[in-house]
Amino acid sequence: MRTAYKVLAYLVAAEVAVQAMVMVWAIAGLGKWVDGGGVFDKAVIESQGTPFPEVAGILVHGINGAFVVPALALLLLIVSFFTKVGGAIKWAVVVFVLVVVQGQLGFLGHDFPLAGALHGLNALALFGAAIHTGRRLRAAAAVAVEQPEARTATPV
Amino acid sequence: MTGHSRSHPPRSGVKAGSPRALRIALPIVATLSIVAPLAWLWQASRVPAVYSVMDMGYLDYGVGAMADPVGWHGSHMEGHMPGQPMAPPWLVTDMVADPARPADVRVDLATRQQVLSIGGRSIAGFTVNGTSPGPEIQAKQGQLVEVHLRNESIADEVTLHWHGLDVSNAMDGVAGVTQDAVPVGGEFTYRFVANQAGTYWYHSHQVSNPQVAGGLLGSLVVTPKSGIAQQVDVSAIAHTYGGLRTVNGNAEDFQVPARPGQQVRVRVTNTDNGPMKIWTTGPYRLLAVDGTDLHQPSEITGRSVTLTAGGRADLEVKVPIDGTAVRIQLSKATAVVIGLPGVDAPVPAQPAAELDLLSYGTPAPLGFDPTHPTRRFDYRIGRRPGFVKGLPGMWWSINGRLFPHVPMYVVREGDVVVMHIENHSGEVHPMHLHGHHELVLARDGVAATGSPWWVDSLNVLPKESYDIAFVANNPGIWMDHCHNLKHAAQGMIAHLMYQGFDTPYRIAGPADNQPE
Repeated sequence: MRTAYKVLAYLVAAEVAVQAMVMVWAIAGLGKWVDGGGVFDKAVIESQGTPFPEVAGILVHGINGAFVVPALALLLLIVSFFTKVGGAIKWAVVVFVLVVVQGQLGFLGHDFPLAGALHGLNALALFGAAIHTGRRLRAAAAVAVEQPEARTATPV
Repeated sequence: MTGHSRSHPPRSGVKAGSPRALRIALPIVATLSIVAPLAWLWQASRVPAVYSVMDMGYLDYGVGAMADPVGWHGSHMEGHMPGQPMAPPWLVTDMVADPARPADVRVDLATRQQVLSIGGRSIAGFTVNGTSPGPEIQAKQGQLVEVHLRNESIADEVTLHWHGLDVSNAMDGVAGVTQDAVPVGGEFTYRFVANQAGTYWYHSHQVSNPQVAGGLLGSLVVTPKSGIAQQVDVSAIAHTYGGLRTVNGNAEDFQVPARPGQQVRVRVTNTDNGPMKIWTTGPYRLLAVDGTDLHQPSEITGRSVTLTAGGRADLEVKVPIDGTAVRIQLSKATAVVIGLPGVDAPVPAQPAAELDLLSYGTPAPLGFDPTHPTRRFDYRIGRRPGFVKGLPGMWWSINGRLFPHVPMYVVREGDVVVMHIENHSGEVHPMHLHGHHELVLARDGVAATGSPWWVDSLNVLPKESYDIAFVANNPGIWMDHCHNLKHAAQGMIAHLMYQGFDTPYRIAGPADNQPE
């Protein structure tokens, strides 16, 4: 369970990195396409086609953000109940809450573009929290091996 | 921590309430407290393998003097009110044009699955009589139009919906609501009286999201008996094929030959899923919206018109007498160029200001009194996490509910209906009610002061609200949905039903009806 916990935490962090990368990739592709005379508007966004290849970045960002990352965060939370390491649940909750906030900021950005800026900032917080969550479990596990009595399960 | 001391002797068994039991039970309980509600929501979002739209969601009788539910209302799963007087149900199939009347206009349309060649690209799509867009159907006001549809090769089956034309319900072309989808080799004959003069279009309403995007559509123009004032009359269908912008199926500018001094009517149809801005090199007038003439439309300069998805705008421009051409931009991407052959016009800068139809033109008699509605409905659009058809996501909600638990708006024939539309979803929605035209009363609480503004497709921006009114004068069961057909496929579909009506058709099932 601890391995699963660690892997999930690092996966969340990796996904945040992927999310940042595909978005900038898409925007770079958009810039190049517009430079060549392309027009990007709602009709193109909502059409079935791929006006430029990097538009896939927007699609990937959407699927990752709406499905994959929340699923990973939820699994991390569930796995945390079984790790029996102090603070494991707390940090899984932190990651989960940051994921929820991240999603809400993302959708809110449609209405209030400034929320998009916070979406970018919160991504850094989420990345940091996910890395910390994975790393601190390794540290806690090392302590637990030395002192089995210190193992605790924190109630939810 | 459990609070128990660790001084207990070691034990092999696990007693209820013991620390060890709790240590095993707590994580399981915590997991279940997360998984169980999700499983319940997932289960509740699933739709049966075959169902009637009559069984979708809940009945909404609205608020008003005549809102007491009377009459038969199908077999709804929710909101069933027992003990109501039963009347024999009328079927959507009963609502047809006079079968004895001979057709004035006959059209044969054959639909095919084909690879389209546009702008040097090959794009998988659909054709009507071998082209996309299909042939334009032309009729004079009052004529009976008979369209014979034959599906030659579209494996997912097909129907034809007459977007904006208030046809009899049986001819509305919605798979699973007003007819069964037409399989390969199958046929269907549509008969309707073209009572309204104006610009309309037809498209498939079976698997409509990919089929419309793939080009299964065409123009439908009804001219008034008295003719039109302009010397040149053209249609411009804006459509995006696989990300490629076109007018009338061509990626290049649409060249319209016209002599200096001539007045030209350009009937623009937005067949895409998003709103489109239209602007011109010179002054223009907006003659009609969604097939209905505006009253005393004034000349417009320095403003663009927003044409919502599925909507139509008839523009009038005059070819300058100095021999230059007029350019009408259909977004930045495509244009109509009008003038002497070979004469182009520079691309005009996109105006920052927009025409506000709320105050454009002058008032005229409405033909009904919307100030005393007999029913009031809410159509509040939102977006929230949940499950639709078993899939998790951020889904569109109608009055707080997700598909299929959405309202079935119930009216009686003769009702004056006012609907309040609000958009809290963060994205624009082109709201389209079948079979009726709606009068815009107000936007964000500000009353309309210009020409009567009738729509069948209404652009509702985020944070906007609209009050619209219509007369319930076309009995049957009608879709009331978002014409961003992606959104429709994601469950942004409600229906309007007249009391006492039922449909013999089913969504999915043996006929494989999938209207979205």
